[in-house]
Amino acid sequence: MSAATAPAPAATGRGARLLALLPARYRKQALPVAVTALLLLGSWQLAVAVFDIPSFVLPTPTTIVTAFFDDVGTIMAAFHVTVTAVLLGLLLGAVAGVAVSLLLSRFASVSAPVLSAAVLLNCAPIVALAPIFNNWFGVTNVMSKAGVAAVMVFFPVLVNTTRGLLQVTPLHLEIMESLAARPRQVAFGVRFPNALPYVFNALKLGSTLAVIGVIVSEYFGGPAQALGVYIASQAALPRFDYAWAGIFVSGALGLLMFGAVTLLERLLMPWHASLHEESD
Amino acid sequence: MGEPAIISVRDVHKVFNGHTDRAVTALQDINLDIGPGEFVSLLGPSGCGKSTLLRVLADLTSPSQGEVTVNGKTPRAARADRDYGMVFQQAGLFDWRSVQRNVELPLQVAGAPKDQRRAKALEMLELVRLGEFAKHFPWQLSGGMQQRVAIARALSADPSILFMDEPLGALDEMNRERLQGELLRIWTDVRTTVVFVTHSISEAVFLSSRVVVMSARPGRIAASIDVDLPYPRVAETRTTPEFFAKVKEVRQVLHAAESEQAPA
Repeated sequence: MSAATAPAPAATGRGARLLALLPARYRKQALPVAVTALLLLGSWQLAVAVFDIPSFVLPTPTTIVTAFFDDVGTIMAAFHVTVTAVLLGLLLGAVAGVAVSLLLSRFASVSAPVLSAAVLLNCAPIVALAPIFNNWFGVTNVMSKAGVAAVMVFFPVLVNTTRGLLQVTPLHLEIMESLAARPRQVAFGVRFPNALPYVFNALKLGSTLAVIGVIVSEYFGGPAQALGVYIASQAALPRFDYAWAGIFVSGALGLLMFGAVTLLERLLMPWHASLHEESD
Repeated sequence: MGEPAIISVRDVHKVFNGHTDRAVTALQDINLDIGPGEFVSLLGPSGCGKSTLLRVLADLTSPSQGEVTVNGKTPRAARADRDYGMVFQQAGLFDWRSVQRNVELPLQVAGAPKDQRRAKALEMLELVRLGEFAKHFPWQLSGGMQQRVAIARALSADPSILFMDEPLGALDEMNRERLQGELLRIWTDVRTTVVFVTHSISEAVFLSSRVVVMSARPGRIAASIDVDLPYPRVAETRTTPEFFAKVKEVRQVLHAAESEQAPA
């Protein structure tokens, strides 16, 4: 983790600046969120103790946390492997989705068949895709997991981006026409920036889909250290408290990816973010 | 006029849906010459084809018949050479660009180097008195300020002609009069030829050196009225008897043209 190796004061400074990037209403929400989480975890802990639920059915939060710290090295190594596949898949799916929709907006006649093919691809269940990708790239190859994630990310990115590229204000096109702008200038000067908010909406969806895609494909085999493999093997042992720790880390990963995309959106589209704050 | 025309329109017709039974004649027998440095308003009721005529001049649509020259070229060549700047009823600023980068747009499309774009944009923003808003984004500006940015954008590539399609139509009366004054001041500074579409009689008279009155169905030129009120025209100009007289004259011509067109 690069943040851990950075000197502490710089890290807190960066953290404070990142927090400052969040709109005030999110910062105000932090406290209620923390209280709700504590209440939920507290009542979970209490319920397991009061109703004497066996730990293989539902371990308490404290045993899960204990399991996490007991096996933290393995879990974090697995986290690292999985996060790599998720990021790669998200990147591949996003680039492919944006590229194809740029082509579709340019060559409208092929958009219907290509979109139909994309719908078909999107309907294919991950459980079916995972063994196929394992077969293509090899079980331990990161591409076999990233590929599944990319397929899942591709569709929302394609559909949303295409929409953003086509739903351009006619006046903007007319202004570019009056300036004798070339098609490439219209594409990159008007259509693409207009589509950016749509792209980010799709990436928010895609960021959590990519996590699901990678973890589910890891169930079908993967490198010895990967979150999906870890959860599956711990559940089989059975060491459910360790499996639960893996599940929590996976959830945290999804949350982290979503937050990263949201942050990127605010950094890349200051005009759009400010619009949000204005509407408060 | 003695000087050669910068814009010349000869026998222009424009028919929409020409090959169907819903054909609409938008422009009929349009002949018009506009000299360099003139401020000409195209005035008329909605449906008189004034915007269509402007769009023909700007090569945003082509005439069904007739000949148009702009700067001695076809409108297409004039557009390709970026001989004109255009302002629309809506400012149409790009949300994702700062005010300054919006003004740079025509220069960027034309491939001007970055330093030159920046310097010119800041100069234009000073001209429309929005210098301190260069780094703002469009949503932070009022409607009137956005329209001033649109004017700066239209002028940034130093066009010899400025086409304006009801540019003040979306503003309230107070802002509208203030911007009319601003527009005249800018015009005095840059001395471009302006073709200005409006349906407001007083706006046309206050701004223009000549008002071209159009009538509807089919769109035709009913009269061309010189406005000999001296420039610079200021807020007080609006209260002079000469201004009132000219407004009255234009109104009478406009109404006469309307009643001529009224179905018997």
